[in-house]
Amino acid sequence: MRVVTKSFLRYLLKRRSLSVLQLLGIACGVAAVVGMTLSAGSALSSFAQAVEFLRGKSTHVIERPAGPMEEKILKNLMNDPAIEAFSPVLDRQVRIESGDTVRLLGIDPFLDRVVRPELGYTPSAGDSSGRLGQFVDFLRKERSVLIENGLAAQLGVQPGSIIPTSKGDLYVLGLFPNPSGEPLLLMDIGHAQELLGLSGQVDRVDLILRDETGFRTRWSEGYRIQSHRQRKETLVAMLSAFRLNLEALSLLALFVGVFLIYNTSMFAVVSRRRDAGILRSLGTYRKEIVLAFLMEIMLFGIVGGALGGVLGYLLSRFLTGLLGNTITNLYFFLRPAAPAWSNWIVLAGSFLGCGASLLGGFLPLQELVRLDPVEALSGRAASRKAEKKTWHVALVGFCIIALGIALLLMSFVHVYVGFAGIFIFLLGIALVTGALLILIGPALKWVLYHLGGLPGKIAAGNIRRNLGRTSVAVSAFMVALALSIGLGAMIGSFRQSLLWWMNTQLRGDLYISTITDTQVPEDFYREVLAIPGLGGVDPFRNVQVTYKDTQISVTSVDASVLQRYTRFGWLRGGNENWDGVKSGAVIISESFFRRFKVKEGSTVTLEGINGPETLKVQAVFYDYTTEHGLVMMDRATYLRLYNDRTINSLGIFIDPGNPRRQELLEEVRRRARLRGLPILTRNQLQGNILTLFDSTFAVTRSMRVMAIVVAFFGISGALLTLFIERRRDFGIYRALGFSTSQIAVMTLLEGLGMGIVSFLLSTVTGTALAIMLIKVINLRSFNWTIFYYPAWQPYVLTGAVALCASIGAALYPIWKVRRTYPQMQIREE
Amino acid sequence: MDNTHIKNKKLLMTRTGAEREKQQSAEKAGKPITKRVRITITLTLFWFMLCGTGSVTPAEEWKQAVTPWQWVFPRDHGQHPEYRTEWWYFTGNLSDSQKRRYGYQLTFFRQAIASSPLRPHNPWSVRDVYLAHFALTDVSGKHFRHYDRSSRTGPGLAGADKDSMNVWTLNWSARMKKNGIHLEARQGDATLKLELRPRKPIVFHGEKGRSRKGPQEGQSSYYYSLTDLETTGTIKTPWSREEIRVEGTSWFDHEFGSNQLTRDQVGWDWFGLHLSDGRDLMVYFLRKSDGSIEAASSGTIIEKDGTTQHLNAADIRMDVLDRWTSPRSGAKYPSTWQLRIPAARIDITLAPLVTDQELTTTASTGITYWEGAVAGHGTSEERDVAVEGYMELTGYAGSLGGVF
Repeated sequence: MRVVTKSFLRYLLKRRSLSVLQLLGIACGVAAVVGMTLSAGSALSSFAQAVEFLRGKSTHVIERPAGPMEEKILKNLMNDPAIEAFSPVLDRQVRIESGDTVRLLGIDPFLDRVVRPELGYTPSAGDSSGRLGQFVDFLRKERSVLIENGLAAQLGVQPGSIIPTSKGDLYVLGLFPNPSGEPLLLMDIGHAQELLGLSGQVDRVDLILRDETGFRTRWSEGYRIQSHRQRKETLVAMLSAFRLNLEALSLLALFVGVFLIYNTSMFAVVSRRRDAGILRSLGTYRKEIVLAFLMEIMLFGIVGGALGGVLGYLLSRFLTGLLGNTITNLYFFLRPAAPAWSNWIVLAGSFLGCGASLLGGFLPLQELVRLDPVEALSGRAASRKAEKKTWHVALVGFCIIALGIALLLMSFVHVYVGFAGIFIFLLGIALVTGALLILIGPALKWVLYHLGGLPGKIAAGNIRRNLGRTSVAVSAFMVALALSIGLGAMIGSFRQSLLWWMNTQLRGDLYISTITDTQVPEDFYREVLAIPGLGGVDPFRNVQVTYKDTQISVTSVDASVLQRYTRFGWLRGGNENWDGVKSGAVIISESFFRRFKVKEGSTVTLEGINGPETLKVQAVFYDYTTEHGLVMMDRATYLRLYNDRTINSLGIFIDPGNPRRQELLEEVRRRARLRGLPILTRNQLQGNILTLFDSTFAVTRSMRVMAIVVAFFGISGALLTLFIERRRDFGIYRALGFSTSQIAVMTLLEGLGMGIVSFLLSTVTGTALAIMLIKVINLRSFNWTIFYYPAWQPYVLTGAVALCASIGAALYPIWKVRRTYPQMQIREE
Repeated sequence: MDNTHIKNKKLLMTRTGAEREKQQSAEKAGKPITKRVRITITLTLFWFMLCGTGSVTPAEEWKQAVTPWQWVFPRDHGQHPEYRTEWWYFTGNLSDSQKRRYGYQLTFFRQAIASSPLRPHNPWSVRDVYLAHFALTDVSGKHFRHYDRSSRTGPGLAGADKDSMNVWTLNWSARMKKNGIHLEARQGDATLKLELRPRKPIVFHGEKGRSRKGPQEGQSSYYYSLTDLETTGTIKTPWSREEIRVEGTSWFDHEFGSNQLTRDQVGWDWFGLHLSDGRDLMVYFLRKSDGSIEAASSGTIIEKDGTTQHLNAADIRMDVLDRWTSPRSGAKYPSTWQLRIPAARIDITLAPLVTDQELTTTASTGITYWEGAVAGHGTSEERDVAVEGYMELTGYAGSLGGVF
């Protein structure tokens, strides 16, 4: 036993470069999984922490269904017997000089200290007089704020500094810690009202309730009361589609990882067949060989896995930041803390590496067990037999593909079924690769012959003759490339759909302020409306409301203006749909339609300020602004429903033929500038949306890069094994009169040939994958239709990668070939 | 009474005198001494903030309590915004149908930050801050629980009327309706809902209600009391968890002024006592940092018919018979007292009904003090009397030392 193990280990040392590649392969696979899992976990747990921190001790929140509420209700809340404590909050954003928006909380320190004592901005017994002075300033000095430590460091401010914002200069009184890292400004509620022009209004009241039922009976009408558990669940639910995508990416990473490891183990077995045959003929037991081989696999798994754990940890630090940005862009602020290092990561990595290696090594081991020593000694398996086997495998592959497609069709049950379908489909395709390689063989021969003459022809033959190995290498490479194409094509189509959508809806000449920015004063709306000659002004308002216990968006617009100037993408009908909206009906987004199964012609019931109100659904339109569903209505309807006069932004429309066009635009700009409101042209707004879009796909793109890196190691490892194993053949070629250069060309073309085949197969698989992601996964998890737009970029990019990877992988063997004397290569070891 | 008893008492007194000296020297050497009296309870936080920042109305702009006040009621039950500090102080001794005894304290402080708000149209713009303390004592259960809170005036969150008694801090309130005062407070499991009806006329302390707190001219406040208020209503304590009907006697103090303190005043001991012969007694002693008693300390005796007699410091003899050390603050409070007023032929001993009635008020004034129900017995005009009432002891805990 020890002899066998020693002989195996000696082999590993002798094939140092190969061993290193093999280790790196496993490490990359494990790193992808660990990195993705760690960062997803970290992002989600910081999210929970952030929610908890600002919640303080409050148990419930009361607010109007939409928009702010009058502060006079505080007096009634104060006398409600169910309330233990309460704290009114103004929760808004201000834009700082860098263009970023920062959350500004207006609070009453007296009331808030009971609800959020941990904020600790109120002085308590034993504080220095400096703190007390700061407290009085906080109460008395207008525009004074306390700033969260992280933001203060970022802006380089300290007590006494001035922060210029969209609402004027703010004076920094002091700093406070915020464990969630959210950039936060705290201001006295009275000063915040003055700053934001919200006299007499608060956004919500945080409550500590002792009798929820009693409270709800007294306050049900016209208010939304949410427990913090509900609120958190709502927020978590908002992330659900996003989370699902993260999980899917982790799984994808796992899939690629295991596949790569399988690939590596396969090569380990195949390259050891001969040694195993010798050992068997020398009288070693089959059991001993299997055990020795298992030990080798485990060793690789553990070491590679541990390395992968470390790499994955490093990767997760990078990914966590990306994830935080994405969630911040799409949902709410989140700056997840980088995952903490723990030795468990190494252990988990080893475990994962070991498990994946065993899983990957299972099939090759089977082969090893069944090994006939004579056959093994005769060299590689007879190609006839291998070809026969390839067809068998392909048959199984086709069945698996069919199963995958069946699962995809059943994805209406749950989106996970769809994911399973995709994985199984990819697995099936991988199994069919061998057969496809045989089919493509003649064509490949022709291509390679024209590329490199005789060496090319031999290269093509080699690929086919070593099918057992080449097919594994090609399939692994193909899956990784397909992943890259699929993700790339999906993102591309999504981007195109978004461009189309923007051109249907965002057709204004100017936009004043944006939804994430501060609001537009209503009198400014009236002022702009009064400018003669403007085609139309759309007062846009977007607000989150609760519908069937989940968050949806309600948008208020001017239906007549939009009817005239926009070309919404309707599921059915045309702009005449606006007629109904003008008379009080609503239109819903595709995501709302799919999520709540509300059809056009039916109704939706929304909780308004005067209780529930049922509204007719006029039509459904394509929309990518929110996956949670959107209800759009005319401003008149909105005001009746919610009595919320807030306006987030104005869309300014001017007839293209208007001769005073430039003059009018300049006039609107001038007036907006006077109010300090940001102005965007249509192109700027669309550009901003695209930037946002691109940044939200950062994680997906990094996954794509990872797939390519993994693919690179995969193909390099595979080719290297192949070549090292056939060093003797090189010698024979040399002896037959082939020059070193010719052998180099042959090696190169062999690598290239495999690269080409992998790429060709991956174009088909990748396109299929993109369509599945678009038509199944996106539709199921985001409830919106992305239109498939064929694009060449992902293919070209992936092709270039395939080319580089296969050439790169061939370089080392070529260098080896040039360095070694022919006789040394022929000599039997 | 035999001689030995008197002798023992004298010995005890001497010992406590020595003890007091020892404590004072210890305070001087080690712990920073906090200087505050009842008035300062309201002031501490804000008064010192104001001095520190200078962002608000300087002290000179406030009216000083220098001339006698022309009292008009019910107007003077309301707030006097031209003075910086004002409080409405209710304490009472209660019992239920099973003769279980309770005590309560409900106090409202108004502390002005500035003479006018910066933006008068915005109710959040701060002029006054209202602070309130609420405490319940369950004598038979030996329980004591206290709460405190603070709020700015805001949109109706706290305030006081100018023309009658209606003062509130969130859902704690004192309102005068048809000659009765209604007190309401609720926090957690503790609630208080009482109606107070005066049995004696209003009592003006000092010179027609101008009570001196020190030697300087402005160092005074306007101070009157309703010492004998027949009290009925219900309370709910955290220990009973159900409403208890109670009745008893309450004491109401209303005081306002702007600048009562000197820095060498360490704290003060205040007593509001009901004697079973119908006499009521108010006594306060201002303690100075050198261990002496402020000469302006005084008291008032209210006879059964409501007639009053002013007492000077020299008329009153106070002796500490026992002390109690708070396990929380480490403050060593006098607990058992002997109080003698020879001119009025009063000689009584007093002890807390529950030892630990210390308040730590982190959510409002930030001061630690002892205020609670006391009872005792002794003689008044040579007749045996039982005594109950409230005692307030401030300036024993050094928790705010750094501020001063």
